[in-house]
Amino acid sequence: MSHFDPWIDGSIVGVYLLATLIAGVMVRRYVGKVEDYLVAGREMDVYLGIASLAATEFGIVTCMYTAQAGYTKGFVGAMPGILQAVAMLVIGLTGFCIKPLRLSGVMTIPELFQRQFGPRVRWAAGLVIILGGLLNMGLYLRIGGEFLSAVVGFDPGWLEWVMTALLVLVLVYTVLGGMLSVLVTDYLQFVVMSVGLLVVTYLVFADVGWSRLVETVETHHGAGGFDPLAAGGPGWSFLLFQSCLQVAATITWQPVIARLLSAKDERTGRRMYVRTSAFFAARFVIPGLWGIAALAMLTPVELAGLPPGADPSLHAMPVYLARLVPVGLMGLLVAAMLAADMSTDSSYMLTWGSVIYNDLCAPFRKGPWSEKRGLFWNRTIVVLIGVFLLFFGLWFPLKGDLWTYFSVTGTIYLSSVSVLLVSCCYWKRANSWGAAAAIFFGAAFPVATLVLPYLDPEKSFVLTRLGDNWNGFLAYVLAAVGMIVGSLLKPASRSGPTVAMGASS
Amino acid sequence: MNPHGHLFWWLVAAFCCVWYSTVTVYVAIKGARDIRGMLGRLARTKRGDEPDSERAS
Repeated sequence: MSHFDPWIDGSIVGVYLLATLIAGVMVRRYVGKVEDYLVAGREMDVYLGIASLAATEFGIVTCMYTAQAGYTKGFVGAMPGILQAVAMLVIGLTGFCIKPLRLSGVMTIPELFQRQFGPRVRWAAGLVIILGGLLNMGLYLRIGGEFLSAVVGFDPGWLEWVMTALLVLVLVYTVLGGMLSVLVTDYLQFVVMSVGLLVVTYLVFADVGWSRLVETVETHHGAGGFDPLAAGGPGWSFLLFQSCLQVAATITWQPVIARLLSAKDERTGRRMYVRTSAFFAARFVIPGLWGIAALAMLTPVELAGLPPGADPSLHAMPVYLARLVPVGLMGLLVAAMLAADMSTDSSYMLTWGSVIYNDLCAPFRKGPWSEKRGLFWNRTIVVLIGVFLLFFGLWFPLKGDLWTYFSVTGTIYLSSVSVLLVSCCYWKRANSWGAAAAIFFGAAFPVATLVLPYLDPEKSFVLTRLGDNWNGFLAYVLAAVGMIVGSLLKPASRSGPTVAMGASS
Repeated sequence: MNPHGHLFWWLVAAFCCVWYSTVTVYVAIKGARDIRGMLGRLARTKRGDEPDSERAS
C-alpha cells in the first residue's frame, strides 16, 4: 500500500517537473552552434560537471539494479561501485587516456580513432558504441515505470502512458537545448535527487538498523555476502569482469566522456573525475542498503502480492519503500527518482545521438554543413532515439538480472573501444587491422551471450557453462589480443601516435 | 576487521553517507555559480559571433 497522496505529494512532483521544464527550455537561446548543442560550447566548470556526471550516472534503473544486487548478493553487490570509484580516482589523478582525449579537441571518441586508424574504424567503432549504448539504454523507461508504479501505486496498465509522458517531457528540453539544457537540468536534478536519496536512506536506517542489515546478509548469503572471494560469493570471475568493465567505462562510457569533452579545459575534466569518484561507490552502496533492507523487512505475504511474473529481487525495494516512506516525503522520493531518471534519459539520448551524427553520419556528409542544418539533424536524431526507446522498452522481455544485462550490453563496445583508446594514446604500432580485430572479437562474446538464449537456448550451453562473468572478461581479453595480433600482422606504414598530447584544447 | 568484513562495510556505508551529504550542499552552492559563469561566457561569445547588422536588430 503506497502512501502517495495525490494532492500533497503530487504537488511536490508537479512543482519539480515544471521547474525542470522551464529551466531546460530557457537556456535554448544560448545554442547557436553544433558545438554548443553537443558539448555545451566546452564551457562547463568543475562543480557543474560533478552535478551533471552524478545525476547522469544515477537513474531509477541504477537504483533498481543496485538494490537488486544488494538483495541477491548482500554487501558484495556494491563491489562494482567501489571498483569504479577507485578507477575514477586513479584515472582522474593520472590523466590516463582522458588527458590526451580532452586535449585532442574531438567531440566523440570515434572521431579520435580516425586520426590513427582511418575513417572505416571510426565508423565501425561508432556502430558498436550505438549498438551497445542503445541496447543498454533500451530498458530504462520500462524499469523506471515499474518503480514508479510500485511506489506511487498507480495501475500497471498506465505504465506505458506514464513512460511516454515522461519521455516527451525530457525530449522537449533535450531537443531544444542539447547539452546546455542537460547540464542546467542536471544541476537541479542532482540537488533534488540527492536530498531524496539521503532522506530515504535515513528512514531506512531508522526502520531497520545496521545490525539487522548485517544479520540479514549473514542469514541469506553467509560469508559470500561480505567477501566476494569467500564461499558462496561471486568469486574471481566477477571481480575480473567488473574490474575490466569499470576501467573501460571510466575511460570510454560516452555519457561520462561527454562531460569530459564539455569541460572548459583538461584540468577541469580531471578534477571532475577525482571529485566525483566517491559518488560511484555511493550510487551502489546506498540503494544496495535499500535492497538489503527490503530483504530484511518484507514478509512472504507481501512478496506474494507482486504482479504475476514480477521478479521479487527486482521489485522488493520499491514495494518496501512504498510501505516505509510517509506522505509528504513520498513526493520528495518520487521527485528525486524522476530527477534521477530524467537526467539520465536526456543525457544518454544526447550522447548516443552525438555519435550517430558525428561518426555514423560522417561519410554521408558531402562538404561542411551549416550550423543550422547540423542542429536540425542532431535534434532529429534525438527524437528518433526517443521513439526507439519507447518501442524497445515496451516489447523487450528481459532474461536474467538487470546488472548482468547492462554489463553485457555495455561490454559490446566497452571492451573494444577501451582497447582502441589505450592503443591510440599509448601504442605507436597500433593500426587499423588491430582495431578491426579488437572491435570484432570484443563484440562477439557479449552479442552471443545476449542473442543465443533468445534464439536457441540449447545452443547457448557453452556460454551458459562459462557464465556471464567469464564471458564478459573474455571479451576484454580477446579485444586486447585482437589488437596486438592484428597490429603486428600488418606491416607498419607510419610511426607515432597521432593523438596530439599537447594540442590546444 | 572481523572475518566477514562487517567493519569494512560499515566504514564504506558511513563514508558514502557523510561524503554524499557534504558534497550535495557544496555542489548546490558552487554549481549555481558555475551555471551563471557558463551562460555568461556563452552569451558573450554569441554576441561576438553575431554580425553587426544582427546585433543592431
